[in-house]
Amino acid sequence: MSAFTRDQLVEYADGGLSPTERIGVEAFLAANPEAAAEIAHIQRQSDAIRTLYGPVAAEPLPQRLSVHALARQGAQRRRGYWMKAAAAVILVGLGLGSGWMLRGQDAAPGIADRLIADAVSAHTVYALEKRHAVEVASTDSEHLSSWLSNRLQTNLAMPDLTASGLTFLGGRLLPAPDVSGGRAAQLMYEDAAGARLTLYVTPSPGPDTPRYEVANLGLDTALFWSDDVISCTITAPYSAEKLQAIARTVFSQLNPSVGGDYAT
Amino acid sequence: MPDILHEIEAAVPALRRYARALTRDVASADDLVQDCLERAISKRALFRSQGPVRAWLFTILVNLHRNALRGARRRSDTVDLGSVPEPSVPAPQPGHMALAELARAIETLPLDQKEALLLVTLEGLPYKDAADILNIPIGTLMSRLGRARATLKTLTGTQTEPHLRTVK
Repeated sequence: MSAFTRDQLVEYADGGLSPTERIGVEAFLAANPEAAAEIAHIQRQSDAIRTLYGPVAAEPLPQRLSVHALARQGAQRRRGYWMKAAAAVILVGLGLGSGWMLRGQDAAPGIADRLIADAVSAHTVYALEKRHAVEVASTDSEHLSSWLSNRLQTNLAMPDLTASGLTFLGGRLLPAPDVSGGRAAQLMYEDAAGARLTLYVTPSPGPDTPRYEVANLGLDTALFWSDDVISCTITAPYSAEKLQAIARTVFSQLNPSVGGDYAT
Repeated sequence: MPDILHEIEAAVPALRRYARALTRDVASADDLVQDCLERAISKRALFRSQGPVRAWLFTILVNLHRNALRGARRRSDTVDLGSVPEPSVPAPQPGHMALAELARAIETLPLDQKEALLLVTLEGLPYKDAADILNIPIGTLMSRLGRARATLKTLTGTQTEPHLRTVK
């Protein structure tokens, strides 16, 4: 009979190991009373901890821990923030006379998360499309730029990412209920291996938006960035480091008026 | 997409149990769970295919608890006498006395050991899951478990020991 390491015996006590290994350990313990005593002690200790706190899980839940009530309150709070944020933005907008800002913004905490989520779903849907990946092809780049700039009411250039090995495929307009104007532009690029990168660009959601966030979503990484004029989420099946390098190129080109203030 | 709120809801009893064992206080444990749920609910749009909802919730809870402790330490420089280990007293009967003694002993464990021990014993999580939640390698998890168990064994004395020789 083969011996087991102490780690394996302890893992057995904690309910681990494969069924075959467990049978082996049981045989080993039957022949080694000292090891068996130690393992039994560990199991008794664990049983005692479960006896102490296990019953908590069966206690009736207080109302404040009701998930659905909390979800409702969260939605109400967000609406509350929206009202305050909209009022603040109207004041700023009057001061600056900046047209699109007057539409009011949802600057609630979490806006960046919602935009990233929207960007990633749009990426997932359209990056898989072989023939209809874009609405306006890159061959019509000038029209695309003026069309999207118009719809987003901000000056939008189409970044050139050939230096990063990415070919511009084109773009499309998407609904974006979380931002003023309710529209987002998606620009799509493709690398030599056929992997696709999208930029999801919206007017800036407001002054309280986080400047920078990275989300790792399984196969894809999303990198969010916002300034006073636009927000942009870059989604691609790349590592965060590679995406950051591309982001520097994107942000200096995307909105020429604010260019260089991207820093990580 | 399955309703993530249902999955969050299903994990609440386990989160309460874990929080109660971490804090040993009904009100602060439920505060912790409430903070955790609020965070999870507001971030749920981001949670799409990043693994099991339950592990994600435990990660949030552990982080909130650590933050709360850091905040509490900053606010107070005094030593909490209740947290100083009491010498173990042989209990006349192994039942409730031994359990109370065990609870006090768990409280004296360093936080990283307590987090690991409770995930594995109380929550019954596989090592891999517990290590992922704590963001540490499995080897580190196992050494924390080992140290926690050795401390508990010392602090709870021989009363809960069986009449068998111990192994060095």
